[in-house]
Amino acid sequence: MILNNLALLRFRNLIEVNQDWNQNFNIIWGKNAQGKTNLLEAIYLLGYVKSFRPARHHEIICQHEEQAFLKGQLTSQGVNHQLEIKLTPNGRTLRVNGKPVQRLKQFFGYLRPVLFTPEELGIVRGYPAGRRSLLDRAILHVEKNYLDYYQQYERILKQRNQLLKRQAREQELQPWTVALINAGVQIRHSRIIYVERIRPLLKDVYQNIVGSSETADCIYSTIQKHEDELKEEFAAELDRKHIKEKQLGQTLVGPHRDDLDFYVDGQSLKTFGSQGQQRSFLLAFKAAQVLDQQMLFGEPPILLLDDLASELDMERQSRFVDFLIKQRTQVFLTTASPEILAEAVKNQAGYYRVDQGKINTLSPE
Amino acid sequence: MLDSIPSFARLVAELSKFPGIGQKTATRLAFFLLRQPAVEAEALSTAILELKRQIRFCSICYHITEQNPCGLCTSQSRDESLLCVVEEPQALLAIERSHSFRGRYHVLHGALSPLEGVGPDDIYIAPLMQRLGQGDIKEVLVATNFTVEGDATALYLARLIHPLGIRVTRLAYGIPMGSELEYIDEATVNRAVQGRREF
Repeated sequence: MILNNLALLRFRNLIEVNQDWNQNFNIIWGKNAQGKTNLLEAIYLLGYVKSFRPARHHEIICQHEEQAFLKGQLTSQGVNHQLEIKLTPNGRTLRVNGKPVQRLKQFFGYLRPVLFTPEELGIVRGYPAGRRSLLDRAILHVEKNYLDYYQQYERILKQRNQLLKRQAREQELQPWTVALINAGVQIRHSRIIYVERIRPLLKDVYQNIVGSSETADCIYSTIQKHEDELKEEFAAELDRKHIKEKQLGQTLVGPHRDDLDFYVDGQSLKTFGSQGQQRSFLLAFKAAQVLDQQMLFGEPPILLLDDLASELDMERQSRFVDFLIKQRTQVFLTTASPEILAEAVKNQAGYYRVDQGKINTLSPE
Repeated sequence: MLDSIPSFARLVAELSKFPGIGQKTATRLAFFLLRQPAVEAEALSTAILELKRQIRFCSICYHITEQNPCGLCTSQSRDESLLCVVEEPQALLAIERSHSFRGRYHVLHGALSPLEGVGPDDIYIAPLMQRLGQGDIKEVLVATNFTVEGDATALYLARLIHPLGIRVTRLAYGIPMGSELEYIDEATVNRAVQGRREF
């Protein structure tokens, strides 16, 4: 998958961009607060429609303007596609190959970015919500039904919570509990399958990047189970929490409360991991996503690396870059100090200098 | 601009309350009416008034009707042992158009949705249970919509009806007639595979 061109209008501080990209490495450099991360955000948005930064449309749209416009031209599986997003303060319009699409699902799957940003490091030690989102975003692009499952589950959850809040009768609650179990099990099932698939990849790639014999692992739910067993299990969990749920007026167990645990050499990173281990782990998790998509679709996703240099030492950086070159992944990388990377990617990189929202094809020397 | 023509503005305001009708379409419709002979406008206003005057809910099935009980409930040629439950009168009409169902109906006028404050007492479930209590009905076909709310309503009804020893069935879902598998969205194919059945 290759992003060939990106055109932006009034997107944050990027007033007007129309840029062709290198097929391998794109090094986006410049001083801080010039718009480097905004570029990555725009590419991410074309893949996920939602930003990785908490943002409302009116914040994304350049000041005093009515709308922002994003257009990406890409090649996937040998076919050229064009994705467009128009953002207004009240909504958005999506187009694929010039044709408007109504449903989010129809927009997904063309551009599949995998993002690494320093802000995400907090996920390893932070609240379960962050780790769930990490997992959900990974699955979203490899399993088409996942978004449907998710939206359905969220709707049922809201309905059920409303009844719990109102202290509704058991009889009234019951159908929503059954619906919650049915929808919840689909999500859990997808998550289990995904985690099982990337665990061996994660282990491999962690050792490759870190260059040590440590074993990385992530555990969502220990063993693969049949859907019927998952249903029984979820029903039993709800049963156990039933009194508490009524007291607190909300659903206390389910996919919306589950956690994903990260381990290195059997120790949980939540409590024991060093900063270095956390960084390496997150990077390995992203790399495992790259490998997984390579196996599933026969081509890697594109990789967005925000300020990688500040997060990894030289040795790990060069190992990671080697890995990416081997996977033939198209990379978009922002950095304030481009010289550091120069050696590893010298012959296959394009350099783009971002200065006050303007991009110039310019290498640092 | 329209403010200077109050009678016109009033009609536009009324028309734009219709579902799917915005300010522009309402204005267009108002101009259309303006150009029509007065008889046409009178016919329309009478039709609207008649609709409100004549139509009520059938006291048995709660379908819309001018005679109470409705034609569907008084018909002799319908199967007394079979009852189809729908959310809205429109759904009943859709099933009638298919000529596939010869039993009786019951219209709930809604589906359970706690977020919108719709509980079992807010839709016509109690009269349904009363009908079932009379003992003629052997099977209830639940034909509520295939939405989160419609499914939950179906589950609720199944729970309620089972103890009466009445068979409860749900409308099947899957691939629409005359369509090719390759054009069907994944969620529908998924449900069709889940709900496959023996030849």
